[in-house]
Amino acid sequence: MYRYDEFDAAFVRQRVAQFRDQVTRRLSGELTEDEFKPLRLKNGVYLQLHAYMLRIAIPYGTMSARQLRKLAHIARTYDRGFGHFTTRQNLQFNWPKLSDIPDILAELAEVEMHAIQTSGNNVRNVTADHFAGATAEEVADPRPYAEIIRQWSSLHPEFSFLPRKFKIGITASEHDRSAIKTHDIGLHLKRLAGGGLGFAVWVGGGQGRTPYLAQLIREALPEADLLSYIEAILRVYNLHGRRDNIHKARIKILINSIGIEAFRNEVEAEWVRIKDGVLKLPEQEIARIEAYFAPPQFAARPAPAALRPADRSFDRWVTRNTHAHKQPGYAIVTITLKPIGGIPGDASAAQMDAIADMAQRFSCDEVRVSHEQNLVLPHVRLGDLWSLYQELKAIGLAEANAGLATDIIACPGLDYCALANARSIPIAQRLSARLAPRQDLVGDLKIKISGCINACGHHHVGAIGILGVEKRGEEHYQLLLGGSGTEAAALASITGPGFGPDGIVDAVEKVVDTYLRLRAGPQEAFLAAYARLGAEPFKEAIYASA
Amino acid sequence: MSKSSGHVQVLTANRLGDGAVVFLNFDGDWVATLAGVVIARSPDEARGLTARGLFDAGRNLVVDPYLVEMREVAGVLLPLRQRERVRLDGPSILDDVPGYTAPAACPPSTATRATEANAAGEAKSDRGEALPRAEAA
Repeated sequence: MYRYDEFDAAFVRQRVAQFRDQVTRRLSGELTEDEFKPLRLKNGVYLQLHAYMLRIAIPYGTMSARQLRKLAHIARTYDRGFGHFTTRQNLQFNWPKLSDIPDILAELAEVEMHAIQTSGNNVRNVTADHFAGATAEEVADPRPYAEIIRQWSSLHPEFSFLPRKFKIGITASEHDRSAIKTHDIGLHLKRLAGGGLGFAVWVGGGQGRTPYLAQLIREALPEADLLSYIEAILRVYNLHGRRDNIHKARIKILINSIGIEAFRNEVEAEWVRIKDGVLKLPEQEIARIEAYFAPPQFAARPAPAALRPADRSFDRWVTRNTHAHKQPGYAIVTITLKPIGGIPGDASAAQMDAIADMAQRFSCDEVRVSHEQNLVLPHVRLGDLWSLYQELKAIGLAEANAGLATDIIACPGLDYCALANARSIPIAQRLSARLAPRQDLVGDLKIKISGCINACGHHHVGAIGILGVEKRGEEHYQLLLGGSGTEAAALASITGPGFGPDGIVDAVEKVVDTYLRLRAGPQEAFLAAYARLGAEPFKEAIYASA
Repeated sequence: MSKSSGHVQVLTANRLGDGAVVFLNFDGDWVATLAGVVIARSPDEARGLTARGLFDAGRNLVVDPYLVEMREVAGVLLPLRQRERVRLDGPSILDDVPGYTAPAACPPSTATRATEANAAGEAKSDRGEALPRAEAA
């Protein structure tokens, strides 16, 4: 895991002191809200419906037990006892007082965390595969490159006032768990023809009001050219991106207005100019950062012959919530923050403390946050799974539902968010309770819910997506089908007229019923069945009695 | 003043220090409930409230003041939009949040107070006015 050097530590401490002064001046009236707002946003502080909200960066979703314990402490001391893990692998506190936030940031700095660039029109937290460094599917750990991008983009003077926010995601596996094609820049770390490492670079993806999947701009970029190429992309965007209309300011709009070829030509021309300059990544520097992400000292012992006592619930959990590890005798464990009927992504301070303990004892001191609002213990010995399962059961987080219909992504929605038009969380809770009895029968199914068109709940890439809108002052929900955020990325399509809060739950159940009735067999997953059948049978079922 | 007959407006904002939802009352205070709030019933009154909101924002008491449209039914104020109902009553899911701890000094919402008062047959404000009652979400 990356550790701050003296520069990092001094920089973050200095930033806390600056913000403390800014908050003091705001509370005393020396700064107006118009003056203060851009300052607080640069430090991850939003004003939401009921309170301020602090969004804390968890770089590429990786943290230590110590850091998770600090988040638990902050939840307990400064907030209301819980936190919310987000689809950007971050954590949000929903109730901090403005006057407390400098103290919270100082506490975070003690464990090498901050909230810088979790808002504003700059490069946001770089997300990465939550199984990075553990899965056998990857060609290399992508996190060193995410860390290099983080360092390059933090307070980058040229890119601190982009036309709009900018999101970068990275994966090193053919199976994309990072949804890279929904990012402004998506990076696929791969082995190039010459044997070295490099990237396929995708650009112009994004959800929101106008969703687009990213397009390939460069098939094979040598790793040494990573920063110069990204800088070239951002320069072209910074120059040509629209600043007159917030809804047309993202890079996806620029690319789709001038075309990928014209955009590529501009980027390549700029890149040729800068590629051999100061941004060339020396091998030694890559190696220096990689050293922070060296694999832990795995125990050299084979998997035990008998992993567990006979227990059907445990069997289900192992089947659903563990993933093959590259190290024999180990597994990757997903802790879904999706108890049946619960609030997606929420964890109490007690749960965070408990998981921090488990990470320390069972997972080489590492925890990951997934963009699906779950936590991951990346390095668990097979022989420890039973003990871990028992401890997770004790804190109510042993649901065997990773990737199932109750493993729902939901944004905070109108319960918290000032931008939202409709509540997301209660819909997720009701769907979870409704679908839980049949979730094993249904199999893999990604349901994603957003409370407004900004799509923080990723509804555009849900196999079943739900979008909350406002209709004559009331909540209304559109239903979308057929989306995917994987390597086979696809945007979901709206089925037709929307529904009220009760109707949307019934409609999703009809979609599930239709799938179960028409699928070729349990081996045909929802998206495969949808591709074969088309939307019509689902629409007929949904609107038959409407 | 309002688009529909029977609709009135009240002035709301977020409190500077903690971001809490507040409304302007007759005493000129920003309070967490609708009890005793100033009601605008005409365009002139609405303009006056807007000006007061901007003034208090300028004094750094509150942030982002704006007018909320309400229905007034038998003296009870009901926000027209679901968004404002959630702002008034708080998140609808707090009972389900693991580990949630309510703030010590969080006053009950007007809706709660009104409901409790109605149940006790005492739905009156300190001024003897009927307390507002929110619709069920």
